[in-house]
Amino acid sequence: MRTLLSILIANALAFSGSAYSADQEQQKLADLKQQLAELSQEIDDINSRVDKNERHTSLDRIEITGDFRTKAHSLHYQNVTWNPAIKVDFNDFGQKAMSGAFGMPNDPSSPLGQMLSANPDLAMAFQNGMLQGVMPYVLAPKSTQDINNDIFYTTRLRLNLKAKVWDNVSFAARLSMYKNWGDSTGTQVFDSWRSFTMDGTSSGNTSGDWLRVERAYFNWKDIGGSNTFLSIGRRPSTYGPPSHYRENEKRGGTPSGHLVNFNFDGLTLGYNLSEITGIDGQIVRFCYGQGFESQWGNGEMFGDIVTKDTHLGGFNIDAINDGNHFLQFTLFGAKDINDGFKGTMAFPTQLAGIFAPTMYQDMQKFSNFNFETRVQPSGVIGDMYLGGIGYAYESDEDMKVFASLGWTRAEGNGNAGMFGGMLSDAVFEAQLNADGSEIIMMPSAADSDDAKDGYGVYVGIQVPVPYGKFGLEYNYGSKYWTPFTQAQDDPIGSKLATRGHVAEAYYMFDINPRMFIKLAGLYYDYEYTGSGTPVGAPQKIDDVIAGTAFSMLPAVDTAYDINASLVVNF
Amino acid sequence: MMKNLVKIATCLMLTLSIGGQAYAVDGGNPKKGKHLYKKECKACHSKGDAAGELTPMSKTMSQWDRFFQRDMHKVKPDVFEKLSEKERLDIQQFLYDHAADSDQPQTCG
Repeated sequence: MRTLLSILIANALAFSGSAYSADQEQQKLADLKQQLAELSQEIDDINSRVDKNERHTSLDRIEITGDFRTKAHSLHYQNVTWNPAIKVDFNDFGQKAMSGAFGMPNDPSSPLGQMLSANPDLAMAFQNGMLQGVMPYVLAPKSTQDINNDIFYTTRLRLNLKAKVWDNVSFAARLSMYKNWGDSTGTQVFDSWRSFTMDGTSSGNTSGDWLRVERAYFNWKDIGGSNTFLSIGRRPSTYGPPSHYRENEKRGGTPSGHLVNFNFDGLTLGYNLSEITGIDGQIVRFCYGQGFESQWGNGEMFGDIVTKDTHLGGFNIDAINDGNHFLQFTLFGAKDINDGFKGTMAFPTQLAGIFAPTMYQDMQKFSNFNFETRVQPSGVIGDMYLGGIGYAYESDEDMKVFASLGWTRAEGNGNAGMFGGMLSDAVFEAQLNADGSEIIMMPSAADSDDAKDGYGVYVGIQVPVPYGKFGLEYNYGSKYWTPFTQAQDDPIGSKLATRGHVAEAYYMFDINPRMFIKLAGLYYDYEYTGSGTPVGAPQKIDDVIAGTAFSMLPAVDTAYDINASLVVNF
Repeated sequence: MMKNLVKIATCLMLTLSIGGQAYAVDGGNPKKGKHLYKKECKACHSKGDAAGELTPMSKTMSQWDRFFQRDMHKVKPDVFEKLSEKERLDIQQFLYDHAADSDQPQTCG
């Protein structure tokens, strides 16, 4: 290099006309030599720096990006009604009581005597012969109140990992921390289905200051030169379309966000149809996953497992995805759904008073202590099917409109656990506990095993406005609407799982292409209880408030969430 | 000698790319850019073409910006010259928005 420059300079000098004096020539030559020396030094320095870059590029096999969100909510719930009761088969109870199986009613030390003295209303009804058939057995007096959480802060950190394994193989993962300020316990007192800490919803439910593997999977495409791809792992099954618009993100997951927003472990076998049809983004995917493992970890060596593995399978079809039009079809089935999942909760004192009177005796002395417990379902309650069609249009001027129609079908098998069967209530039967000292109520069957269809509608619009974007969304879910969207991170509860109406308005201020502030308001109007769970019969909220229907967990009538968030992508 | 030239070129690119961040393309319409890209670029840059396949993922955001600011398709300048400035900006915005280091949709396949 240096030699080349020297020759070039020498030539240049040789051929230049000698319009300068010898002194000037000498001076110029000296200057050039000096410049040459500096240039050589610079090249040596650059060499050593490029070596480092080359080495770093070769050894650094993973790309890390991420986002950081801070959010402040003001949460307000109206007419929160707790009116717990269980349905009891009083014919069965009467027969057992009359036969003397529970001891004599006038013996205060007998199980029946104890029960009647503890429940004077029940004793009166029993003596008057009013207990016939299946009737509610009220467990605690009804309470209705408004609840306000004026300020609730959360922080979410997500780290995306990407690696190119080979020309047609890539790996992707997302590590996620989602916590509310001032808390890293990871378990919540069980006051709603949302507050149950479990695998499928951990990404959208505040847990603590640790990173979880929200998703991790490989993509192996163009298998054997065909248009087939395979992906196995913890799926990108959250924040799917069209629920990503409100997040101000690109499509965040594969399946329709209206039907599925849940962490699944499984696989996708896909075929890139667009290579054949020429229609942009046309992909057919067969998805399979397991939502529940019944044996491993559940004490299977004791040999008394009655739950079954829950397997899911179905199709996710992007019919068109060309940047302007997006059309998606979804059809899923979940076989052997149990009456819950494995998870943890802090046991509510309120439920101890009802279901665990012996334990409650001591728990009253520690009213602010909640024991943390691992829960697993008690049995299989049936199968479920989900279907949907979603369409989104994005104009060249960046206006977005979307509409999604969803359908869910629950087919119960007549079984029920403590909180009910498949969209049905449990019928309890009285029996003696193991030592014959107490009458306990145990679920015996579901009060119905009909197939129940639910449907949901989700529509929205987002328009460019000064400084950013403005959006309006509305969704409705019918009585039996039961999508798998429990991992949606709305604190009041997944808005898209709502059995009732939800309206949302938001304004996003784009500070720069990688940072925005979002102001939003959501209004929920629940029509039926049990949003977000297939367990238990949905009850009309108005009836629960009126006291003519019952709910084992507090039921919310209306609620609103005013929130502001700041998101930084890096 | 050749190695050194390559290194110099690389360094200049790195320097420019760091500076390039400040010139991130803005104001183009990526959706219009996509239509134009499919019409104008894919004609010669599809799979199996002699000119070599190109997709937005072929370059990083800075590399696309540099290509539009400095290179200007010098292999065949007339390709660029026949496009209006607005059309070039739209294509640039599309390629930039979908470049290898841009935010990507998170799906499988």
